[in-house]
Amino acid sequence: MKLLRVLIFAVVALAQMAVPAWAVWMRNQTLAKGKTWKFRTAPVDPVDAVRGRYVALAFAAEKVPQAERLPPASVAYAFLKEGSNGFAEIDHLSTTAATGNNVMKVEPGAWWDGSQHVDFPFDRFWLTEKVAPEADRAYASSSREEKANAYVTVRVHDGDAALEQLYIDDQPLPEYLRAHPPH
Amino acid sequence: MAHSVNHRAIRWLRAQLPELVAGGVISSDSATAIDRHYQESEARAPNLGFAILAAVGSALVGAGIILLIAHNWDELSRPTRCLLAFLPLILAQILGLFVLLRRNDSPAWRESVAIFDVAAVATAISLVSQTYQIQGSFADFMRIWLLLSIPIVYLFRTNFGALAYIIGSAVWMLSKGNWSFNRPGEMFFWLLLLLVIPFYVGVVRQRSSVWTFRVLSMALIAASAVGLGVTIDFTRSDLGGVAFAGFFAVIYLSGMIRQGGASESLNVLSVLGGLGIAITAVALSFEALWHLRPPWADPSFEQEVGIGIALCFPIATVALTAWSWVRRTISFSISAASIPIVAVIARFVAGAARDTARPADNQYALAAAVLFNLYALVLGIEFLVRGIRAGSVARANFGLLVIAALALARFFDSDLSFVARGVGFIAVGAGFLIANVVFFRKRVQT
Repeated sequence: MKLLRVLIFAVVALAQMAVPAWAVWMRNQTLAKGKTWKFRTAPVDPVDAVRGRYVALAFAAEKVPQAERLPPASVAYAFLKEGSNGFAEIDHLSTTAATGNNVMKVEPGAWWDGSQHVDFPFDRFWLTEKVAPEADRAYASSSREEKANAYVTVRVHDGDAALEQLYIDDQPLPEYLRAHPPH
Repeated sequence: MAHSVNHRAIRWLRAQLPELVAGGVISSDSATAIDRHYQESEARAPNLGFAILAAVGSALVGAGIILLIAHNWDELSRPTRCLLAFLPLILAQILGLFVLLRRNDSPAWRESVAIFDVAAVATAISLVSQTYQIQGSFADFMRIWLLLSIPIVYLFRTNFGALAYIIGSAVWMLSKGNWSFNRPGEMFFWLLLLLVIPFYVGVVRQRSSVWTFRVLSMALIAASAVGLGVTIDFTRSDLGGVAFAGFFAVIYLSGMIRQGGASESLNVLSVLGGLGIAITAVALSFEALWHLRPPWADPSFEQEVGIGIALCFPIATVALTAWSWVRRTISFSISAASIPIVAVIARFVAGAARDTARPADNQYALAAAVLFNLYALVLGIEFLVRGIRAGSVARANFGLLVIAALALARFFDSDLSFVARGVGFIAVGAGFLIANVVFFRKRVQT
């Protein structure tokens, strides 16, 4: 009885380790093999009490003009294309699974005004405690102005999307913060 | 069969023993034997207070470790941070193994290490997520966490763990739901909840800790009620009345069957079930609750599953009633047990309205509401009579309270004249007074 208990615990313990470990492995695969896409961001800003500090992200590309609402499904596949300005846009949506470095899983939302809205699998850029307040300020000021010069780079590989870096004024966030210390 | 232990009573009895011996009521041999018997039972009883303190303590230590790790790690590389995220988990698992092998008989150890392990899982997942910018909804995170935690509840027989799991399931359901429209996958809630039921049944069977039974019952009922509400909304089937009537009737019947004889004071299931039935009955006496939606075209498979789950409760009520009928152990209120049947009839009546007339006042909705007015009245009277028979002031007054609530509901709702309302209120108030006077006189006599 005791042995059985210990064996079951071993299996459970393994599963508890496997979930985060698998997430790390998957992410490393995507970061290593995926194609880099740039997404322009739009401003928003709450603070998540549970998962620590982050910059909240919103994207202009989160809507796709199409005549009809997507059929109800928990997951949709967004086919990406590069727009004329070098930023990623959704070419079209599909509810059937697909692979490739231009396919990203998204969550379908509502449909209105001739556009299907979707949620990208990343809506926050996590920061360390020290830089969080500065970064939040820098991001808000840069994406609220007319320039709209904040964007993120994302690696996309077979549906999985790995958020890589937040850029402000074409500089990675840590560099930008070093160059623009708070007054 | 084990029985619940009243420590205060035992201490009192043991303190009385010398007096009883001195007074010649019992021999000193008997006194020694009684003393020894209760000494053993005191020693066997788990120390709940210590278990609570230990659990809270380990939760605090766990939270402290999480904060230390999450704090300010700019200088660390990704792999190092990743390794640190796993550290509390590894520690918790080593402790878990130690407890299973060496401290398996100590509830305090089991409760604490279980909480530590469950918190460590959450820490590892969220820290890895932050480090690698891995995102998913809060609901996805909760679901993985719950599934990884439920085996711990069984392995370490942890009551706190079970309580946290039940609350977590409800939180998952609410975070999954979206108020503007329902998202697919919500019916998974029932599977999550089902996973903890065997543990709860074990607690019910054990009868050793009344408080564990009470607290887990309340949590389970609250979580299921939330789940049922979301399910009803999700199915868009207008089965709310039927489902909740069945839900509370099942709880009430389970409570009455568990306690067997009617002489005992009511257990938590009977009380909450009875309360739920009364509230449902008074709520369904409003006509507005029988305004139905136009029929919904083509429910999805998941919506059909939801309808099936909602209908499980009234069906279970009928099965439980039939079962106790066959075993001739009927000690429950017949009208309380029949609320799902009344709700089904009322639902059919209300459903007879034309599709276009359904969402507004119509004669069929009115008929359904009238039926529930009559039913709530009968229910109140039966509760009152049963309370008087059982010699319980609280239960008798609860019956009156149902009738009063019904009267109050009609006061706001109906087009009756003020005179009629006034007379009605005087009648109900007089009923309260007369019943209590009669009741107390009867009690004094006996």
